Amino acid sequence: MSNPDTSFRAPPDTPVAMPRVRSFVGELPLLAFVLAACAGLIVFFTGNSFAQNLLATTFLFAALSTSWNIIGGLGGQFSLGHSVFFAFGAYIAARMHLDLGLSPWLALLPAALVAAAFAMLVSWPVFRLRGPFFAIATMAMTEVVLALAMYFSSITGGAQGLSIPFKAGLHNMIFRDRMSYAILMLCFLAVTLIVMAAVTRSRLGYQLRAVHDNEDTAEAAGIDVLRTKLVGMGISAALTAMGGVFFLMYVRVVDPPSLFSLFDIGVKIALIALIGGIGTIYGPLLGALLVVPLEGMLRAELGGMMPGSNLIVLGFILVLTAMYLRKGIAGTGTDLFARIRGGR
Amino acid sequence: MSDDHLVIAGMGAGYGDVSVLHDISFAVPRGKIVAVVGVNGAGKTTLLSAVAGLIVPTRGTVTLDGADITRTAAHRRTGLGLAMVPEGGRLFPFMSVRENLELGAYAPASRSGLVERMSEVMDMFPILRDRQDQLAGRLSGGERQMCAVARALMSRPQLLLLDEPSVGLSPLMTEKVLATVTDLAAREGLSVIIVEQRVTEVLAMADIGHILDHGRIVRSGLAADLRKDRQVQETYMGL
Repeated sequence: MSNPDTSFRAPPDTPVAMPRVRSFVGELPLLAFVLAACAGLIVFFTGNSFAQNLLATTFLFAALSTSWNIIGGLGGQFSLGHSVFFAFGAYIAARMHLDLGLSPWLALLPAALVAAAFAMLVSWPVFRLRGPFFAIATMAMTEVVLALAMYFSSITGGAQGLSIPFKAGLHNMIFRDRMSYAILMLCFLAVTLIVMAAVTRSRLGYQLRAVHDNEDTAEAAGIDVLRTKLVGMGISAALTAMGGVFFLMYVRVVDPPSLFSLFDIGVKIALIALIGGIGTIYGPLLGALLVVPLEGMLRAELGGMMPGSNLIVLGFILVLTAMYLRKGIAGTGTDLFARIRGGR
Repeated sequence: MSDDHLVIAGMGAGYGDVSVLHDISFAVPRGKIVAVVGVNGAGKTTLLSAVAGLIVPTRGTVTLDGADITRTAAHRRTGLGLAMVPEGGRLFPFMSVRENLELGAYAPASRSGLVERMSEVMDMFPILRDRQDQLAGRLSGGERQMCAVARALMSRPQLLLLDEPSVGLSPLMTEKVLATVTDLAAREGLSVIIVEQRVTEVLAMADIGHILDHGRIVRSGLAADLRKDRQVQETYMGL
């Protein structure tokens, strides 16, 4: 019998590191700094309704993209159907508010639970598909649910949509000024970032990353791949549905084509994560801070003369990201930082 | 009670309508190294995938310690003491070496004593102790293979499945990896199924050998006897 290999040498006293503490407490200082910086933007633009509107939209999309990032980035399941869960949240809140007179705050939990249950149910068969086939299946799901939403007009209002009467007050989540909405969306963003940080550092986060890297190897290592993906999708859908509730009370008029919009919701939140840094905690926020204000300003400045100019710019940014920032803004920044420090 | 650790009986397997394996039957005695050799496309990886539970056999049974595991999910088999080292190692490249090893012990039964096991495994592979914070994707070919074997050992398996550990390695490095596996099997009392194209080297380390050809086992016997078999030498060893 051969002797054990002796050429694989290492310094004999090198300690074995303890498995990493997976509490997200270590993430809190940076998280607090990031949220404080965002709050600083709100304060800086006090009195500027246009800027506050852009900030509210930016924080909402950052939150939606962060929610998507749990399954799309960490888990590598490139869903383009998150607009369905977004719409679930909006419609559940709308019906509870219009039919039962309940506060939209009370709709957050049911919306999250229903969307999570629906997401896990429809994902069960779809998760057998991989890569582009999975993405196509989620797009198809969007179209099917959109058709159903148009058909069941008694629930969704059909093509006419649903309107929420203006009754300002915190209880109704309706405000007279845009600044309050910006603060509301920032709070929602904080929730999604905390969940993302907690998931990233949890056992589930490790499992999702392993599934992302190689499903067969993850399964062979003892990870229940289907369960991991379902749980990731459930959390992601629940947060997205909560975003639908906030969106509803922000715009107060929703119809199926706008809620289920493949590009304006489903594709856009995925693209924001891609540009910012897929699978990273702060990538979606960075992506949203770049894309949403730019798009909003272009729409305001050039919308009359050049309709669709915002899409051209978004496409341009995406091409540049694909060419020069393969890991997105956050991923590239982290690599640069590590290189400067002489790290791995 | 039979001392067969794993028994494969009349197993067939494939992908969709394509049948790859036909009527495979053999046993793995406890603590022995069983080599399954054959040329590219013979069905070696399919065989290991079926034993690991990554694909479901179309017929026949797989029995582990007397319990039928034919339809047991792959992640549950890890908890039953079965671990696979896939072809090329297939590490999680964007995780550190330590994180890769931790993931090897993610089956619920393996989580207790993770720190001690990590230390034991790093004692077996000292290079990994040195590289523990390095991204796995940046390891050399031989280190990667060592890390993959180490990851499999993290779950304290009793049966190790090795899929072509020589792929991408130089002959010298292959020799080192196989020597390490042989030593570990003896030290940890492991049963091993190893599938390989490098017939000469793998029959030298194994106790029992099977020749797989077009999805069927065409020769079986003690590895030492197969090495001396004139037909095996001419067909598979180029002698």
